[in-house]
Order: sequence, then C-alpha cells, then structure tokens
Amino acid sequence: MIRGAIEALGRRVLEPIEEVGRVSRIFAFGTANIFIRPLRFRETVKQMEFIGVQSLPIILLTSFFTGAVFTLQSHRAFAMFGAQAMVGGTVGVALTRELAPTLTGLLVAGRAGSAMAAEIGSMRVSEQIDALDAMAVDPINYLVKPRLLASVIVTPLLTAIYDFVGMVGSWYIAMYVLNMSEPEYMKRTQEWIDWDDIWSGLLKALVFGAIIGTVACYKGYYTRGGAAGVGRATTSSVVVSSVAILVSNFFIAWALP
Amino acid sequence: MSRRHRYEEPEPVPIDPVTGQPVAIRYEGVYKSFGEHHVLRGLDLLIPAGKITVIIGRSGTGKSVTLKHVMGLLRPDKGRIFLGDEELTSFTDKKLRTVRNRFGVVFQNAALFDSMTVYDNIAFPLYEHTRMKRKEIDTKVATLLAQVGLSGSEKKVPSELSGGMRKRVGLARALVRDPEFILYDEPTTGLDPILAAAMDQLIVETQDSRPGITSVVISHDMHAVLHIADKVAFLVDGVVYDEGPPEYFRDHTDPLIHQFVTGSLEGPMKV
Repeated sequence: MIRGAIEALGRRVLEPIEEVGRVSRIFAFGTANIFIRPLRFRETVKQMEFIGVQSLPIILLTSFFTGAVFTLQSHRAFAMFGAQAMVGGTVGVALTRELAPTLTGLLVAGRAGSAMAAEIGSMRVSEQIDALDAMAVDPINYLVKPRLLASVIVTPLLTAIYDFVGMVGSWYIAMYVLNMSEPEYMKRTQEWIDWDDIWSGLLKALVFGAIIGTVACYKGYYTRGGAAGVGRATTSSVVVSSVAILVSNFFIAWALP
Repeated sequence: MSRRHRYEEPEPVPIDPVTGQPVAIRYEGVYKSFGEHHVLRGLDLLIPAGKITVIIGRSGTGKSVTLKHVMGLLRPDKGRIFLGDEELTSFTDKKLRTVRNRFGVVFQNAALFDSMTVYDNIAFPLYEHTRMKRKEIDTKVATLLAQVGLSGSEKKVPSELSGGMRKRVGLARALVRDPEFILYDEPTTGLDPILAAAMDQLIVETQDSRPGITSVVISHDMHAVLHIADKVAFLVDGVVYDEGPPEYFRDHTDPLIHQFVTGSLEGPMKV
C-alpha cells in the first residue's frame, strides 16, 4: 500500500517533467530542423497561407471592433476629468503593446492552432506519421518545422495588421460617433505611440507564434486514443496555448522597458 | 596490452530450418515493455530471405510491435535484431533512417495521406528520396496502379476509395522504391472474403514478380496463412510458441494452436 502511494506520487511528479521535456524536444528539434534539408519551403508557404491569409477575416473584424470599443469606453472615462484628447494615444499604446499581440495570439491559437493539433493528431492515430517514419521521412522536418516556422512568421504580421486596423476602428469612432477633433486626435496619437511600443508588441507576437506552433504540434504529435484522443488534443492545444500566451505576456511586459 | 584495432569477422548468416533459406531478419531474445505491459518477452525469430513469412497470434501478443522493431520504429529494451549480418540494435537513428529505405510497409488501414491524391501518395517516396523526372514518376505510378488493379485512379483522393482500394494503393506506395523487404500489417483485416482473397493473391503475385523480395505478413486470417505463407510463426505472450510450414499448422494437435486455427471458443485460450 505504501509502495503504491509512493509510486503514484512519483508518477504525478514525473509526468509534468516528462511533458515539459517532450514540449522542449518538439521546439528544439523543430527549430534545429529549419536549416536541415529538405527546407520545406512550399509546405511552409502553404502553412503561412493557412495560418495567416485564412485568419485575416477574423483578425480584421475583431481588430476594428477592439479599437472601436476601447475608444468608446476610454472616452467615457476620460470625459469625467475632461481629458478626452488623450483617447487616441491611450488606445494606440494599449493596442500596440498589449491588445493586438495578445488577442491575435489567442485568435490564432483558437483558429489555426486547434486545426494544426487536430490534423497532426488524426495523422498520428491513422498511422500516417508511422508511414512517414517508415518511408524514412523525418516527421519533425516534414510536419513540425513548416508549422512552427509559419506560426512564428505570421503571428507578428497579423499583429501588425491588428495594430493598424484597430487604430482605424478607433479613429472611425472618434471622428464619426464621438465627433472629436481630427487634428488633435492625430497629434496625440502620434505623440504617444513610440516605435518601442510597436516593436515590443511584435516581439511578443513572435513569442506567441512560437508557443502556438510548438503546443499545437506537440499536442498533435503525441495524440493517443483514436477520435476521442484527437478531440482532447485539439481542446488541450487551445487551452494550453491560451494560458501560456497570457502568462508569458506578463513576463515579457515585465522584462521589456 | 595491444591497442591495435582487431578485425572482427562478421557473424555468419544462419539458415532458416523451416525453409532452408538464408536468414534475412533475426530476432535474438528481444524484450519490449510499455510501462507495466510486457509485450515481447524474449522473442527469437528467423525470417527467411526471399520468402513469405506470416506471423500469427491473438490480438495483443506483440505482432505489430515485432514488425515495428525491424524498421527501428521501436527499439528493444533487451535483445538484438539483425538485418542480414548487420546488427540493427546498435544503429544510430540516422543510420536506421537509411535502413528504412530498404523497406516497404503496407499499414493496417493503409495510412494514406488524406491531403494527397492517389498519385501523390504513391509518388511521395520518390519526391522525397530521388531526383526522378516527372515523366518517369508518371510511368512508375501508372505501372504500379495497373499491377494493383487500379489504373486511372491517379486523381482520386483517399476518401473516395473503399477499404480494399486503399490497401491496394498502400501496396503500390510500399513497392514504389523497389524495396528488399515488404511488411504487411494485417492486410486483409476489414475486407470481405472476396476482397481478402484478392489481396492474398496480390501478395503472392508481388512476391512472384519480384524475385528475392522478403515478405513478412501479420495476420489473423487463417485462410490467408494457409494459402500464401512459406513459413508461419505463432506468437503467444510475446514469444514464438511454434513455427513451421503452413501445412504443419493445418492439422496440428496442440490444443492452443488447434484452437487458434479453428477459431474455436473452447480451448486453453480464454476470451
């Protein structure tokens, strides 16, 4: 009985350590494979199209409304002490530093990360990954590398689009709903938003892209248990990516100036 | 003490007592466990070159695990596996990958790539490992599809194919690089008796049309075993319980083998 309890405790300690090891392995091997032939250029472009181009409608829609609603709410708050002119700059800084990278990361994790985990997971349970191995094709090179690379490249690009369209949404509400003065709005926005704000947001997006690609590939690659296992891997991929994005966001924000 | 490197004679390739052929693949005391589940428990098995060896046994006795070891998809916990006179178990991952080029595998559910057409599925190993021109690949794919009776199916996708058709495409893909060894993982499972017989015939035709190819088939299908095998190995609890030519198993009096061959519920093996 005591031995059983100690074994159970040991398993509970070892399992998370093993999991961290496997995630690190996927990331390290996926990254190391970037320079190993075959380079998988075509497959990477295909994944960039899937993660990036196909995510554009949802990014455009959510970014416009994020900028719009944040402008509306901050205008109400600033109006209490007559500082409405600060709205543009505030929205700009919040968008570029926090909202754009975080929300883009969450959206990409939900839309593309889940699909990647499901695709690789169903390949695992239907022995397609074993077939790659049997044909002497490295599954990490063929499946993980293009997705990881595409995710790291595309997430910052989508974040830049989120920044721009979010500011368009903000400007539209400021001009046509709140009837603010355009020169003043533009002046404050330009004064407040620094290149550092934009770069720090894009750097965060790069990290989030790596998180999404790694977690999705890891969850898919180690899927077990048929269709139910694929379902679990997909859900788990979104949950783990989202939590990792929000937690790492805090630490990056803390570390950056 | 001399530090000079001593030349070591390669171990001589043994002869398989069942078929009288040189041994192509040799398992020596192979053990493999997954956690608490002990699958292979000291497996000793000889696969003769240029012949069809069928491995039979109940589900969970380690047949697929045995097959995966020979390609290096799994490594044994203990024991050695030889391919000819080379010891596979001492190979690095990189070297094992090159060994896999000598194999073709037909998976239980074909394991075709969903996102590719039949043409791309068959041509995939050629794209990956050769510099063949498109026209040469076209010819090769068309020839293989004709051999498996699926001419003109190049543009179909796996979801448009029946189970039997998928397995035949899987066989065409396995043969595309003219392998020395072909491994069939339950090739007739899930097929109706006529399609299963057609698949058996295809396995024999493949063997006859490619002299020297070594085939290993995992099967539960006793009809197939008795019709296609040159050698049969019966696995029980991760070891070879008995082996011999197919006719040896047909009228075997051992209660365990008799129960398996006749598919009886009565006998030492319980459901």
